[in-house]
Amino acid sequence: MARSPILEPPEWVEMRAARIADPVERLGFLRRQMHETRERKARPARHWRGALLAAGLAAMMIIISLPAGTAETFARRGVVSAESSAPRVWLPRVWLVDKSDSSELYSNGLRIDLTFAVSNRPRSRFPIFSLAGGPKPQGEGRAPVGIVYHTTESNLAPFEEEENHRLQRLGRNLMEWVRQDRSYHYVIDRFGRVYRVVKESDAANHVGMSIWADSRGVYVNLNDSFLGVSFEGQTGAVDEVTPAQISAGNVLTEMLRSRYGIATENCVTHAQVSVNPQNMRIGEHTDWAGKFPFAGVGLPDNYSIPVASMFVFGFDYDSVFLRATGTRWRGLDLAELRVAREAAAEGLETRQYRAMLQHRYKDIASALKEKSGEVNQ
Amino acid sequence: MNHGSQSALGLDVGTSRIVIARRAEDDFRYESQLNAFVAIPYSKITEGVLEREGIPHTVQLGQIIVHGNESEKFAGLLNAETRRPMTGGLLDAREPDSLSMIREILTTMFAGHRAEKRQKVCFTVPAAPLAAGGSLTYHEATLRQLLTDLNYEPVSINEGLAIVYSELESSNYTGIGISCGGGLCNVCLAYLSVPIISFSIPKAGDYIDSSAASVTGERANRIRLTKEDSFHFNGFFADKVHQVLGVYYDDMIRSLVTALKEAFTRTSNLPKFNRPIPMVLSGGTALPPGFRDRFEKLLWEQDFPVTVSDIRLAQNPLHSTAKGALVCALSDS
Repeated sequence: MARSPILEPPEWVEMRAARIADPVERLGFLRRQMHETRERKARPARHWRGALLAAGLAAMMIIISLPAGTAETFARRGVVSAESSAPRVWLPRVWLVDKSDSSELYSNGLRIDLTFAVSNRPRSRFPIFSLAGGPKPQGEGRAPVGIVYHTTESNLAPFEEEENHRLQRLGRNLMEWVRQDRSYHYVIDRFGRVYRVVKESDAANHVGMSIWADSRGVYVNLNDSFLGVSFEGQTGAVDEVTPAQISAGNVLTEMLRSRYGIATENCVTHAQVSVNPQNMRIGEHTDWAGKFPFAGVGLPDNYSIPVASMFVFGFDYDSVFLRATGTRWRGLDLAELRVAREAAAEGLETRQYRAMLQHRYKDIASALKEKSGEVNQ
Repeated sequence: MNHGSQSALGLDVGTSRIVIARRAEDDFRYESQLNAFVAIPYSKITEGVLEREGIPHTVQLGQIIVHGNESEKFAGLLNAETRRPMTGGLLDAREPDSLSMIREILTTMFAGHRAEKRQKVCFTVPAAPLAAGGSLTYHEATLRQLLTDLNYEPVSINEGLAIVYSELESSNYTGIGISCGGGLCNVCLAYLSVPIISFSIPKAGDYIDSSAASVTGERANRIRLTKEDSFHFNGFFADKVHQVLGVYYDDMIRSLVTALKEAFTRTSNLPKFNRPIPMVLSGGTALPPGFRDRFEKLLWEQDFPVTVSDIRLAQNPLHSTAKGALVCALSDS
């Protein structure tokens, strides 16, 4: 069996390759970049003394700047190595420890309550569209590629001891309703209990008209491609979520990322992916339009990722949406910049270029609608 | 879409077929010949008929040798087995005419398209077997020499990697390519076009044919035709031959799945994929309806160490290896 050393190219390589439509050119580009990566990796070996010194200094700096915590907490956060070759994408390793009819226990402490577990329609193969354009999918997916975070937007009682009875009753009613509607795969109640509702192998009705993209391509209408995790809460409420919910969100995210190899960039909020095709604006739903505790659930600030619906399909936003975000996302600016740059490269006004992107979306949306009509017949 | 070297060729030198891929405008064109031959007694009349019909043949030592696609028809007429230049994915050391026959078949295939000076050709070679460290050097070096003699500029590519280059553009050439051919099943895991793990297992189409032949008493060639014409995985078998084919097909798939798990589990430095990766099945042995489903079922039963997003059949299983070799050749230029 032949084995080759692993090379980690710079992050932009994959993104740029995904935008090359011609397969031969794409392969040529990747092979050149991977060759250069190999060369770059080989070069420092000639100056091993300097490299050793630099590595030593870097290790010292990292030791000095390490946050307080046990070895276990470092491992949980992925702060496990000062090596420069640490993987660019950190994937946690979480496994099922114990299972009964009513619950599952995982190695990272996650406990899933199965009391409200229910089936829905099996997850379908979902199309993946090219970032480079075109109305037809360039491939298909089967396993979940991401997570969409929601809030249940349900009635809340003050989170106080004397409200225990009411808090429990509201939670129970909510779970009955979520089960009936097959609304999410998981719900995290206000005490941090994690309930599985829709089986992971099935699609939940959580996200409807929606768009997201990664280096592999563009996903449209994410019910089949993304898992839905909802926090019992209400957008904008004073006690939006409790610390127990954030902690549970962290271990649940870890488990799902471990199980499906989900990239952090694909763990996003409902407001980031939701679109309204009637007015071609983003944010039809605004749950977690702001203040999602990305750091608390072990993720980078994904509000900084360019909004896919804007730069791929020319969606826009309005002042109502901006008010919902609170602090303006960096991802909105980056998406706008990208549209302007690409319009200039095409020799078009931004308005014209956006119209072209919107036209593509309408073609794809009508094809998907037709297909789903065929399936339902 | 214009590539500097439109005239480059992809060449899949398989145990049972040789396939050439060419780029024509924005499309790919393929030509294939059986990698087989049959010797028939020489007579002037026979030679005349073959000449008139344009059937590729050579005359040597009082025999007429018919090679390529027509060899099967003549073998059927003469109730004889075809002979093959390759076995188990490599040149057959026990077949004295192996090299000359491959040369004849290639010359026939190249004849319609006269080689430009030092035209680039990317040819496929198998990976080393998982269980043993068998040497592939002779096979690769011999083909390289043969192609150089025919005025080509040869480069080689691993068969499994060719499947990745042919089918996994959408995942930036990251994923697992599996070629289920006549002599071998070849596997390659690639990460952003770079091969990470590659190996082969010696159970493939020929194993199924010869095992089924030994049980049923039929000739292996006849078993192969039955397999290619009418076998499918649906759990119900029309006759004994189909039932036996089902048994050995299942055995082959199980061996492949076991080898995959073993090889991937044994590898400690797998890349950290940031998403599940696709797997593509290709080759003539993957063609029977239901093959993919059966493979998928057996793989899902294993605790496979890499998360697989989907298992798909190549768009054109008989030509995808040659296409991948061509894409490789074009991307080199």
